[in-house]
Amino acid sequence: MNLSLLTLELGVIGLALALLLIDLWTPPALTGRLGLAAAIGLLLILALSWNMSGGPPVVGCGGMFARDGLALFFKRLFLAVGVLVVLMGVEYRERLALGFGEFNVILLIALAGMMFAASANDFVLLFVAMELMSVSFYVLVSFQRSRLPSLEAGVKYLILSALAAAFLVFGIALIFGVGNTTNFAALNAEGVRLAQDKLYWLGLLMVLLGLAFKIAAFPLQMWAPDVYQGAPTPVTALLAIGSKAAGFVLLLRVLFVAAPVLAAHWSKLLMLASAVTILYGNLCAIPQRNLKRLLGYSSIANAGYLLLGVAAVNASGAAAVLYYLAGYLFTLAAAFLVICVVMRDNEDIGALAGLSRRSPLLAGALALAMVSLAGVPPLAGFLGKFLLFRALIERGAAESPESFRSYWLAGVAVIGVVISLYYYFAVIRVMYWAKDPPDLSPIIVPARVQIPLAVCLVAMIYLGVMPGAVLAGATEAVKALKF
Amino acid sequence: MKVADYQLSQYLPVLILGIVAVAFAAGTLLLSVLVGKRGRDSRIKDTAYECGMLPVGAGGTRLSVKFYLVAMLFILFDIEVVFLYPWAVIFRSEAGREPGVILGSMIGFMLILFIGYLYALKKGAFDWKH
Amino acid sequence: MSAPLTHYLILSALLFCIGFAGAVGRRSAILVLIGIELMLNAANLNFIAFWRYGPHPEALTGVMFVLFSIAIAAAEAAVGLALVIATYRQRRTTRMDQLDTLKG
Repeated sequence: MNLSLLTLELGVIGLALALLLIDLWTPPALTGRLGLAAAIGLLLILALSWNMSGGPPVVGCGGMFARDGLALFFKRLFLAVGVLVVLMGVEYRERLALGFGEFNVILLIALAGMMFAASANDFVLLFVAMELMSVSFYVLVSFQRSRLPSLEAGVKYLILSALAAAFLVFGIALIFGVGNTTNFAALNAEGVRLAQDKLYWLGLLMVLLGLAFKIAAFPLQMWAPDVYQGAPTPVTALLAIGSKAAGFVLLLRVLFVAAPVLAAHWSKLLMLASAVTILYGNLCAIPQRNLKRLLGYSSIANAGYLLLGVAAVNASGAAAVLYYLAGYLFTLAAAFLVICVVMRDNEDIGALAGLSRRSPLLAGALALAMVSLAGVPPLAGFLGKFLLFRALIERGAAESPESFRSYWLAGVAVIGVVISLYYYFAVIRVMYWAKDPPDLSPIIVPARVQIPLAVCLVAMIYLGVMPGAVLAGATEAVKALKF
Repeated sequence: MKVADYQLSQYLPVLILGIVAVAFAAGTLLLSVLVGKRGRDSRIKDTAYECGMLPVGAGGTRLSVKFYLVAMLFILFDIEVVFLYPWAVIFRSEAGREPGVILGSMIGFMLILFIGYLYALKKGAFDWKH
Repeated sequence: MSAPLTHYLILSALLFCIGFAGAVGRRSAILVLIGIELMLNAANLNFIAFWRYGPHPEALTGVMFVLFSIAIAAAEAAVGLALVIATYRQRRTTRMDQLDTLKG
């Protein structure tokens, strides 16, 4: 056992426990400072993660915990989300009513769960990391105890998540029964023998079902709009970015570390799920008036796009997933920062009317985020989608008899993108061209929002214009996977 | 097929027990209807029986919400003890190989639980007066 | 000789189905949670049976997983109960179909 493997996770958990203890003896007026302290702590841990890069992949803790490029890439992603969401929380503080200290602590624990998930090399760690994340989210989603929508979102999330977890555990039990191990590498070593056992297929299918819930993909996507709408905005941001990314890293690990033999067989299944998810998310988003709910459906559609990269079953597809998630992080973080500041009690899209005159910075940031989500060049969202589509076409070209299937799916995805232009641009239209907006009072944006917002915008443009460095990192990271 | 039949027949006593249990419950209910005297219903007959006294207050007693809190804390701390068992099982063999790891991991685990306890204490979860 | 592995698996599959029927069919949040708990226990039973009848009963993987699963189910139940109570105070109901403030 080697504790230095766990440095980053232990850092986050230590930070959480320290904050919990300090909060007990901190007067309520000063708890805002604790949020800033948490953000600084996470930034330090993020800086530390650059110290750990390089070196060959290591598997430790009884073969459960893998430290490789893939894990490190996702851990940096999670830490970056953590910093942005904690800062969002500071802005959101007075709306949480009670327990801002606990809010930060549970946020950090959820983050630790995601980071463990990034390194999972065993179904035991996969399950524990996922549940660490889920149970923290139950509390976070329903944090505003006096607001019924928040509680209702919490109950719905809890019940569906627990249902998905039950399927996951049953699936793991079947896998264990056939393979006599829960270790990914050991399962892969036996892969050809196990692939002949239908019980193993069933078990893996149930595991995938449990993961589909986390990434909000068909057939377990229906919770996303309700929960996104009801949850406090910073929590929605963490769900939309962190929880989805954690689901995808687990999906990649299960498919391409534990069962690469079966992954190729299931390409069709993943393609089907992807197509339905894209169409469902985009079509249902059209009539939405609540911006957070709209982003909930948009998140489903994005899960569908990301599944394209997984269904491609090749290295460029997986690298595209990583790159897309990085771009998605900054895009959504910018959108939710703006929502946090502007939409205090009214989350209807109409409340954005005249934002371009109230605060050009916020309006510009939200507009850029929407443009990036819609996939218009030269922002991060465009290049991400382009890479995903290209990976899919590559697969079609590699397997010529099946190629029409890949092209057909790419067609569906393009239709999805075209539909999404409509509702993303509806948001921009309200901000810039609404007729006689009711409220034109200028909004003062505090520095603690300006700085992260600026970082998000720069990153969005940087990723779109100069993708080289991040894409090279992603390509390097997916070398941990087998295709 | 033969073997499966044999194995299933092992469960025959369970089946008989089930039938007897259902038959007994149904039988007693049926008996009380058949043999028991039919009287008229009245308000006083429908009230709860409290040693001949007239009942006071609502039927279901309202429990303080403190009970839920204590029950929840009990569940959480009680369940964590579960992890002590496997630890104790492998303690002897591991202590010879890596004494620091086996002790350190449990101390870390206990430390986290203790912080949770401190939190509950400071938040007044054990304070019954308020 | 004790019962063979298949009997445990059949029992576990039945338990899982009963739990699933409860989780999907019931309207009360508490009963739904009980159904989900049944499903988890079915999976745990599977694990223990596979472990006991597997080729490596000396490796404790199966038992370890079940212990984790039990502990996590307890945490889930605690949070779930707290949430249902908080919702009941606000809305005076625990029925899932009456929780309908969120819709598009």
